[in-house]
Amino acid sequence: MNYTKQIQDIAAKLFAEGKIDVFVGYRMNGFDDNQVPVLIKDPQDVSKLVFTDKSVFNLVNYLKTDHTRRKRVGLVVKGCDSRSLNLMLTESQVKRENLYVVGICCEGVVDEAAQKMQNCVECVVSDAVVYDELLGAGGTLSGSIKPYKVNADVAALAAKPLTERTAYFEEVFENCIRCNACRHSCPLCYCAKCCIDQETSTLYNGANTTSAAFHALMTWSLHLAGRCVDCRNCEKACPSHLPLHLLHKQNESVIYENFQEHLAGVIPEDRGAFYKYSLKDPDDFIM
Amino acid sequence: METEVKDQLVSIEKPELVAVPNWEPVIMGILCNWCSYAGSDLTGTSRIQYPPNIRIIRVPCSSRVDPWFLIKSLQTTADGVLVSGCHPGDCHYITGNYYARRRFLVTKKLLNFVGFHENRIQFSWVSAAEGPKFAQVVAKVTEDIKKLGPLHLYKKENFEKK
Repeated sequence: MNYTKQIQDIAAKLFAEGKIDVFVGYRMNGFDDNQVPVLIKDPQDVSKLVFTDKSVFNLVNYLKTDHTRRKRVGLVVKGCDSRSLNLMLTESQVKRENLYVVGICCEGVVDEAAQKMQNCVECVVSDAVVYDELLGAGGTLSGSIKPYKVNADVAALAAKPLTERTAYFEEVFENCIRCNACRHSCPLCYCAKCCIDQETSTLYNGANTTSAAFHALMTWSLHLAGRCVDCRNCEKACPSHLPLHLLHKQNESVIYENFQEHLAGVIPEDRGAFYKYSLKDPDDFIM
Repeated sequence: METEVKDQLVSIEKPELVAVPNWEPVIMGILCNWCSYAGSDLTGTSRIQYPPNIRIIRVPCSSRVDPWFLIKSLQTTADGVLVSGCHPGDCHYITGNYYARRRFLVTKKLLNFVGFHENRIQFSWVSAAEGPKFAQVVAKVTEDIKKLGPLHLYKKENFEKK
């Protein structure tokens, strides 16, 4: 998977036609063969752009920043990224007419150890679902939607006895340092003032305790329930390497099994599962 | 109803921790104003006995219950939570409890996944006319939670090392 040439051509053409102010893509980080996101404002810098299977980050996150707000933006999205873009459009966070989206029919990206990432192995929607221009083989969305399977880690952990799960997650929450990188790296955590930061509230506190980390991470994962697209930006950003995907994938599997037969962001104008209801929702857990 | 709790009651999530002698569970009851709170009022005015372990908070609707109400309750004092609202179709705000029902299922499964016993988070539909049912629900929840022992997770009081 290498679309470097095509993306450079597209960016150069967009700048020449005056269609965009800034192009969000990937560049080499300058030290090794890993990549970092780049915001290109000068057409001469277009040659910096690359796209290979090391292009791991979700660039939709950069639509929250001042560099792109109220500007015309060109953007590269993979399958999962395009789903988060779809949700941001549905939730009126960005305007579609300000965007030029280069969609990728993604074949999966690799981590720093050159292993294919777990979410790419389990990927359900690999083609971009929202785009102006689509690169790569594929292009028919119905062909790219694969059957949904419960995440292997979630299934393995759910099969364990309660005491083991308790001990496991206590260690996870103990290791959290409350840097909030997971929140900042998430494209769908766009609130200007996060409820976790409200200093006057006694409900949340910034203290770096296991209890506070438990509260913050649980609240965060429940705010993303039915919206998380499994791009794993949070896990890549986490300095403690917490298995944050466990919380999201657990919520996702419950929602998929009980409420809806599609994942978040696949259908345009479809809001998260918590914004809807059905009379047939399960009721057997309520007395 | 049994009121005596035997000594050395073990916490189900962490068997190495035991309850203090004569431990009684604290249950957070979050009740909707229009049905369950009126139902609990009827229980009282009908002079029906129910366990005093429940601490009741009134909310406008069961969909007012943000999942972090449950998280925060379990994290501070409560050993269990009971959320109660109107029966489906009876909501004062027409659809509130349908939205709440979805959130409750996901919250319950997530809390169970991270290591809380599923009986610590309970839900019920109680209408304003169901005074006896409210007493039964509270009795059952209290009994369930007494079996589970005290909740130790993410709080460090009420415990003695074995």
